[in-house]
Amino acid sequence: MSDSQRRKYTQEEKNIIFDGEFMPHIDSMYNFAFRLTFDEDDAKDLVQDTYLKAYRFINSFEQGTNAKAWLFRILKNSFINEYRKKSKQPAKVDYQEVETYYNSDDVDFQGTTDLRADSVKDMLGDEISNALNALAVDFRTVIILADLEGFTYEEMAKILDIPIGTVRSRLHRARNLLKDKLRGYAQSMGYKTDEED
Amino acid sequence: MENNGKETSEERKVSCGDVSKCFQLLESILDGEMGEEGKEVLKEKLDKCQPCFEHFHLEQAIREVLKTKCTKQPVPTQLADSIRQMIHESK
Repeated sequence: MSDSQRRKYTQEEKNIIFDGEFMPHIDSMYNFAFRLTFDEDDAKDLVQDTYLKAYRFINSFEQGTNAKAWLFRILKNSFINEYRKKSKQPAKVDYQEVETYYNSDDVDFQGTTDLRADSVKDMLGDEISNALNALAVDFRTVIILADLEGFTYEEMAKILDIPIGTVRSRLHRARNLLKDKLRGYAQSMGYKTDEED
Repeated sequence: MENNGKETSEERKVSCGDVSKCFQLLESILDGEMGEEGKEVLKEKLDKCQPCFEHFHLEQAIREVLKTKCTKQPVPTQLADSIRQMIHESK
């Protein structure tokens, strides 16, 4: 980084950016952190770390660009680099889940015919949340970013450092896995599925 | 959608030629990634293909419940203040 970049913002400008563009996202940031760690203290630490880093590297933030995506990228990287290392529980993709997916040829067709839109609409928030939380972290993350936070594929590609095509296919897989979980709820809760017709 | 008189399930084909490709396309459209072109493709699919029609509505319902029903975690009240404090101390 050159000197001119390093000294891009004055102290006052930094404060304006931090309060005006960074802090308003604290709610989304905390919820993202909590959905990654499932722990209030870890989520708090992760958000704190992220904001401290954001302030330290504020000169590499271009004013007028998407602050929320920039912050989410820092948080995701902190989670991978620090939290996962600290955590005893290996936070990685559940490979069995992935393999099960790949080994079923017609997962798309199987995956949708017996779950109804009406059953999904009737589900409770807890059921939806539990289904989402049961997904492996990489799949959970893309659904959080796309559906809960409304990021575009392009923004997600930047946040996750993966190509857009990978965003699209990972989301597709994540949604199929989510539907599997929702189907489980639908059946156990006695919501209507096509199999009962 | 229902106000389009021509749109009845009898007119839709019951099986989709390329489910995997179609569903991924529908999902991209739902995610707002296809722009104007997406709207035309969507109308075509929903008018003519029953599996696509059902998949679209299921996917739409899932996005809707995720957006509206997922339980939100309240941000700890002291968090914003403690962040400002830490930054102030680091200056």
